[in-house]
Amino acid sequence: MTPSDPALPSSRRRAGDEPLFFVRDLARIYGEGSATVTALAGLDLDLYAGELIVLLGASGSGKSTLLNQLGGLDSPSRGILRYRGADLASFGEEELTDFRRDAVGFVFQAYNLIPSLTARENVSLITEICADPMAPEDALALVDLADRMDHFPAQLSGGEQQRVAIARAIAKRPEVLLCDEPTGALDVHTGITVLEAIERINRELGTLAVIITHNAILADMADRVFTLSDGRIVNWRENDRRAPIRHLAW
Amino acid sequence: MSLLDRKLARDLRALKSQAIAVALVMACGLAMMIMTRSLILSLESTRDAYYGKHRFAEVFARLKRAPNAVRAELAAIPGVATVQTGIAIQVTLDVPGLPEPAVGLINSLPERGELALNQLHLRMGRLPQSRTTLGEIAVGEAFAAAHRLAPGGTISAVLNGAKQTFRLSGIVLSPEFVFEAPPNSALPDNRTYGVFWMPYKELATAFDMYGAFNAVSLSLSPGASERAVIAAVDRVLAPYGARGAFGRADHPSHRRVDDEIRVLQGLSVAFPLVFLSVAAFMTNSVMSRQIALQREQIAMLKACGFSNRQVGVHYFKFSLAIVVAGVGFGALGGMFLGTRLVGMYHLFFRFPSLEFLLDHRVLLTASLVSALAAFIGVAGAVRRAVRLPPAEAMRPEAPARYRPALVERLGVARIFSASLRMALRNIQRRPVRSGLTCLALALATAILIVPNSFRDGVAYVIDFQWDIVQRQTVTLSLVEPGPPRALSDFRHLPGVVWAEPFRYVPVELRAGPVRRRLALQGLPAAGTLNRVIDAEPRQLRLPERGIVVSAKLASILRVRPGEEIVARVLEGRERELRVPIVGLAEDFAGMAAYMEIQALNRLLLEGDRITGAHVVVDKAQWAAFLAAVKETPRIAGCVIKDSLRDGFRKTTAESIGLLQKIYLTFATIVAFGIIYNSARISLSERARELATLRVLGFSRGEVGSVLVGELVILTLVALPLGLALGSGLAGGIISTVNTETVRLPLVLTAANYAFAVLVVAVASALSALFAARKLADIDLVSALKALD
Repeated sequence: MTPSDPALPSSRRRAGDEPLFFVRDLARIYGEGSATVTALAGLDLDLYAGELIVLLGASGSGKSTLLNQLGGLDSPSRGILRYRGADLASFGEEELTDFRRDAVGFVFQAYNLIPSLTARENVSLITEICADPMAPEDALALVDLADRMDHFPAQLSGGEQQRVAIARAIAKRPEVLLCDEPTGALDVHTGITVLEAIERINRELGTLAVIITHNAILADMADRVFTLSDGRIVNWRENDRRAPIRHLAW
Repeated sequence: MSLLDRKLARDLRALKSQAIAVALVMACGLAMMIMTRSLILSLESTRDAYYGKHRFAEVFARLKRAPNAVRAELAAIPGVATVQTGIAIQVTLDVPGLPEPAVGLINSLPERGELALNQLHLRMGRLPQSRTTLGEIAVGEAFAAAHRLAPGGTISAVLNGAKQTFRLSGIVLSPEFVFEAPPNSALPDNRTYGVFWMPYKELATAFDMYGAFNAVSLSLSPGASERAVIAAVDRVLAPYGARGAFGRADHPSHRRVDDEIRVLQGLSVAFPLVFLSVAAFMTNSVMSRQIALQREQIAMLKACGFSNRQVGVHYFKFSLAIVVAGVGFGALGGMFLGTRLVGMYHLFFRFPSLEFLLDHRVLLTASLVSALAAFIGVAGAVRRAVRLPPAEAMRPEAPARYRPALVERLGVARIFSASLRMALRNIQRRPVRSGLTCLALALATAILIVPNSFRDGVAYVIDFQWDIVQRQTVTLSLVEPGPPRALSDFRHLPGVVWAEPFRYVPVELRAGPVRRRLALQGLPAAGTLNRVIDAEPRQLRLPERGIVVSAKLASILRVRPGEEIVARVLEGRERELRVPIVGLAEDFAGMAAYMEIQALNRLLLEGDRITGAHVVVDKAQWAAFLAAVKETPRIAGCVIKDSLRDGFRKTTAESIGLLQKIYLTFATIVAFGIIYNSARISLSERARELATLRVLGFSRGEVGSVLVGELVILTLVALPLGLALGSGLAGGIISTVNTETVRLPLVLTAANYAFAVLVVAVASALSALFAARKLADIDLVSALKALD
């Protein structure tokens, strides 16, 4: 099933729901003159609360650029980018900071933990600055790291580090969880535990989760799957049912 | 403690050796600044309190003799608040245990009550009293200390031809003699010159001066014009053989204290400023590097909702921690050194008490300046980091573009090894960073030059003053200017090998609005003993017409050779003469003016007269010579060159030597700090690259030689630059030690340069060794993993 307009409401969405993200003709162009690189070439997209979205595409297809736009890390060159009706494109530095602080959780491929802080401290670092966080211990328990809380990043495995990063991202109870290749640096088994953690957060907390991956097999765990190429959505589909992660033929 | 602060604490711990290096450099600059500024405050406030409490006068005058009735005329001058008249007379002393005669200046104490101005501070014993069987006298502390005199002891003096013995009643200090140096001498000689006080009646009677005075001190009422009062005093005293009144600015003791403060002021700014700039530069390099290393962490913090301000404050706190440590060490160091150094001023200056006072304002200013310097140092790096959109910062920095180094393109590279080529390319790839490292190394070299140039300057002064200029053994002076026959009398003293006459006349030299008082010296045209030397140094022949003055005096009077100045004679018949300047003499203490002795006597219209003679004495007959001098009542003074030189060594040279040692220690610390820091930064920037080389099969030695090679090349470029920079810096700073009473020449010796090069080379070698050791610790696997 591949409807032609990804902006069309998902069937999972209850009638009358407003999308969390409302995106029209979104473009991001870097550089000037002959050195121009078009990372996003004008795409339309609606994303709803509680959805689990997978973005597929080759390197340079624009996945990360889109994620950065959604997360308020970068501003669009053109188009409409609204979050809960607010125009993100018009946000200044301070408003973007508040948006990231309150609404968005990030998970990076390289984990990006602070090496000089323990797991618990890495999470607390974020809970200190947001309005209604969960206890860092609870966040770490959600990713099954209750017993590794006082370890430094260097003392944790890659999967554990990534789960700390997820705990850090969700401890603020974000409405949006943006994950850029969260399993890219991990082996299969570890990758599964990490994805399960993300899925669990999405399910239990109703967080919109957007996952970038190279791995097309992961598409089955999503509600909707978008494939990007050359800065456009070239394909999208909606799964009737999210496949349990352990059943994915990885 | 917030978690960002905890991160800060842990990052600081990881970076502790570099942080300590920066803090130490900062501490050195601050310690110097706090020490010198506090010494200035200590001297100034002690002086002002002393002057105030003991009523130091504001206008002074000396004359032949005026009846006490003239006092009322002086008091009636508008603007005069208090008048103190008395007698001040120079006498020859016979000090027990001193082979040569000494000179004493005896001042009178009023018959009733105490001195209205220039009141004495009693250190020991009591003030002398009249009508005791044995005359009583009080002695100034400097002379008493030099001869271990104590109340109850005795001293003999020749008063008006009659030798009298006095009982020492007490040891005193006077605001008029904070610096006790003989007239016309910029250097103290506490062995052969002392100041005394005795009751007016006894002193006046001995010199047939009862009912008269020859010394005046005045204080002014608020708002009075000093110039107007001086002019009025000169008018009132003109008929009484006055030598011209003068204000505090011309008072020898006051001016010497002032000049010392001026020297400290010079030192308190330039050198510390260099250190603080270096510290700011080092903070900048450490922080830039730290921020570059934490690029991804910064991106994460921003992605997670930390604001630019929060991130900026976090890194600013980082450098603030270094500043706090630097200020802490600096303040403690400054106070410690200041407390030790303040004692040094007892060598020159006699204050009732000279306590170290911490200049709180400078502590505050210095802290703020350092914080500001650190802030500026870190601001650029933080701004670049927070400006970067988080998405971009998340990616590793783009790989640098390499190209063959310039020398390679010139075709001479074939002779270079692979590691040398890599080192060259690295340098060329980041010209700004290489340039900054080079500048840091040059600065490290430069600051080592300054303190040693002080030491060499002092050594030069000692040689110049007492070997090139003064070649006599002794300078003898007569009680009163005498006929040429006196010279042959000198020549007939036992042991005298050669003698040349001199004539001293107190004059006021004037050019335009600037005027200075000094003793104009008449010397033989091409004397062999006390010579007039120019900057070359070459002996100047005194012509039949014209005057030679100190280069410093010429610059103060703003005149050049060929121009005329006015000399007002302040002795005997008052006269004003216009004389052309015919040459500039080089000297380093006080200011002088010279004329050919015959020419001077012709101008004075007094016929051939001499004030004394410079003589060379055969050391074999030294004792006989001194005994003969002591027995000759016409000889008022006997200045032994060697004891002057010793005095200089023990006072000026010692104090400058102490400062030099402190500065040199600091400079060495700073040089090590700079070089160590450069090596650390260079190592951390290249950890990945060097690990890659290791993985590719390069040996540790080969990899090390790339890093060390780079440091060696930069050091080789930096050294000549640093030597040039240091010479300029030394010139600039030494020019602040250029006062009317004391000056230092800029002397740059090969030994000085060699020492700087040696320190930098040793520091570089140790830092390179350290870097090579660290290189062994690089975890190859993790260094490469992080490359992703």
